[in-house]
Amino acid sequence: MRSKLLKKVLGVLAACALTVVAAPAMTAMAEGTVTVGVTSFADTLEPTEQYFSWVITRYAVGETLTKFNEDAELQPCLAESWESSEDGLTWTFKIREGVKFSNGDELTAEAVKASLDRTFAKSSRAPSFFVPTSIEADGQNLIISTEKAIAGVPGCLADPLFLIMDVAAESDNIEMDGPICTGPYAFQEFVPDDHCIVVRNENYWDGEVPLDSVNFKVIGDQTTRSMALQTGEIDIAYNLKAENLIEFEGNPNYDIQQLSSLRATYAFMNQNGPLGDLALRQAFIRGIDRETYCSVLLEGGAIAGKAPIPPTLDYGFDELVDENAYDPESAKAVLAEAGYADIDGDGFVETPEGEKLELNFVIYTSRAELGVYAQAAQASLKEIGLNVALSTVSYETMLDVKESGQYDLIIWNVQTATTGDPENYLRENWYSTSVHNTAGYNNPEVDALIDELATEFDTDARRDLIIQIQQHIMDDAATVFFGYETTFLFSSARVTGVTMFPMDYNWFTKDVKLAE
Amino acid sequence: MKSVKLFKENKQFTIFLILALAVVGVAVFAPWIAPKDPLEAVMLDSLKAPCAQYPCGTDKLGRDVLSRVIFGTRTSLVMTLILVAVIFVIGTTLGIIAGYFGGIVDAVIMRIADMMISFPGLVLAIAIAGMLGPNLTNAVIAISAVSWTKYARLSRSMVLKGKKALYIEAAVVNGTKTLKILVRHVLPNMVTQMVVTAAADIGTMMLELASLSFLGFGATAPTPEWGLMLNEGRTYMAKAPWLMIYPGIAIVIVVIVFNMLGDSIRDVLDPRQE
Repeated sequence: MRSKLLKKVLGVLAACALTVVAAPAMTAMAEGTVTVGVTSFADTLEPTEQYFSWVITRYAVGETLTKFNEDAELQPCLAESWESSEDGLTWTFKIREGVKFSNGDELTAEAVKASLDRTFAKSSRAPSFFVPTSIEADGQNLIISTEKAIAGVPGCLADPLFLIMDVAAESDNIEMDGPICTGPYAFQEFVPDDHCIVVRNENYWDGEVPLDSVNFKVIGDQTTRSMALQTGEIDIAYNLKAENLIEFEGNPNYDIQQLSSLRATYAFMNQNGPLGDLALRQAFIRGIDRETYCSVLLEGGAIAGKAPIPPTLDYGFDELVDENAYDPESAKAVLAEAGYADIDGDGFVETPEGEKLELNFVIYTSRAELGVYAQAAQASLKEIGLNVALSTVSYETMLDVKESGQYDLIIWNVQTATTGDPENYLRENWYSTSVHNTAGYNNPEVDALIDELATEFDTDARRDLIIQIQQHIMDDAATVFFGYETTFLFSSARVTGVTMFPMDYNWFTKDVKLAE
Repeated sequence: MKSVKLFKENKQFTIFLILALAVVGVAVFAPWIAPKDPLEAVMLDSLKAPCAQYPCGTDKLGRDVLSRVIFGTRTSLVMTLILVAVIFVIGTTLGIIAGYFGGIVDAVIMRIADMMISFPGLVLAIAIAGMLGPNLTNAVIAISAVSWTKYARLSRSMVLKGKKALYIEAAVVNGTKTLKILVRHVLPNMVTQMVVTAAADIGTMMLELASLSFLGFGATAPTPEWGLMLNEGRTYMAKAPWLMIYPGIAIVIVVIVFNMLGDSIRDVLDPRQE
């Protein structure tokens, strides 16, 4: 009796196990479908919220007026051409004819205006790109006027925030249904933190769309994502790292691409807390050995950081003087001089007022290298007597923490030139009144230089200004720059046409297809 | 003399008691046993395979895995014992109160307990730990919140069984204070059974704590804790399997030892065996 029951139970278990194993393999094999393993990012598909518009362009749904190609050159997309007036105050974009939204509606200059107006009305990030005095539609032309001459308007419009959606056909539940856009694919199903399915846009303007559908599967954990690619559950895996190379290198079934990215990983230091003290900030930066973290711990998967802009962009990385390079002895000296001393003998210094000092360092889980940086920093700083507590949260929670300013340090990994030039990046993060500068950094000189940069058209002069701004940020020890990562893209040989873009808000394109 | 006889007659108990004491010894004397500082990161020796200098290899930050496993005994054991003590005291007290006083008190306490067990234990613990934020104390609170019910139900049923006994009625008639009745007459009759349950629970609780740490809701870096070490090692599974092997072995050994010890304690104390 008992053994019979046992057999039954075992049978059921075996059946369950089989379906679990078989199910993913079957979905991946379905005709005309590609499955992509991605990291969790967006709670909703509302493009003006946070950075969620990136998900829409990454999933090949949203498109912008202009775009950057694989070589980071600005190309026409929904706008065929553009020009600025003599005084630089107005920009005229000629909207491409014959483009339709995925619901069949015509893309007109009116529709583009409505979409941009919506973005400026809803997004707190939009004004940090540029502030239009008016956006007008005239036939097939879109005319954008600004108060001051702004050089970077075409580049700014390539940022996913300015993707063009059909405002007239906006769903009541845009958070889950997603916007109607012009890209090769259109949203079919979105389950936050689980998956997102996009299907072929039958009205696509730029040639045939090869796949019936693409399933973007959220696999937050790096190891699991790598294993999913090995088992064939997914065909493409984003955000794998140097340490995953060993699993795929030399295997003809996989393609590996890598790119010195335009991404920087750094930590904001909240000046509204104990880190308001320059000496403490200097000691912190001098205490961490970024060179070793990048070359040894990340196995060369990143270049050691010192400045806001990575050396992959030519903004004087080598000219910049880093007075806070790794030097634990001088870090200790700076602390001692400023009155930080270990009074109670626990191995960690107290503040000059004699209070315990514990710095709360917030990191998030979806990028595995952040944990490595943070833990390594924690270990190095212990050597100079600084007590760092790590709190690890999800990306979405991290955004909330950043907004509320409840942190001493918060990790940030960001694309430094989404508009083809770091101006917007510098303004968003270090301009004193930027909403995203929750660390309280305020240097009037930096503000003035960024304002000057916005109206400067000359390339060499812009470069000089950007170098000066970086030098100020470094001298103020405002931010801990950990490194600039190399990004990897691992894909199964089952798919072809997978490309990496330096502007990594482009992931999936119409060129990705199944191998013959 | 009597105790020697006891040890001789219960060989299994003796063996596992010695092993358990050895584990406790490792925890207590960790600083003397461990060859290196478990927190000291020699980053140039990142992910070194086991060798003469590092018998169990090193982790990502170049910390000695053997020392971390040894110090992990401290974290795991101390936290587990605290956890078991907490649920033992809270659960038993509430169970006695519910069983002895009955009526509305009983209804309230036991309905709360029913509510708690209607969720899958670890899932509820994850939810609680997630809300409180990740650290070991919160993990202990979270697991306590879902595990005390077992002790409450057990002690309540035993109180109900003994409540009608003549000696208790006699005590009541004599005007003995309620607290004294509970401590003097009710508790001694059930404490053996409760201790057996608690001893058998140590292994399970250790696993639950390690699971929470593994999932990122327990110990936080850089604490040497086995569950956390497994999680950290997972990323490098193909390249540095020793990061998972040694903490894994440590968990298996210690859990088996304490489970077997719990079993043998039951064999020794269970009155029905006599």
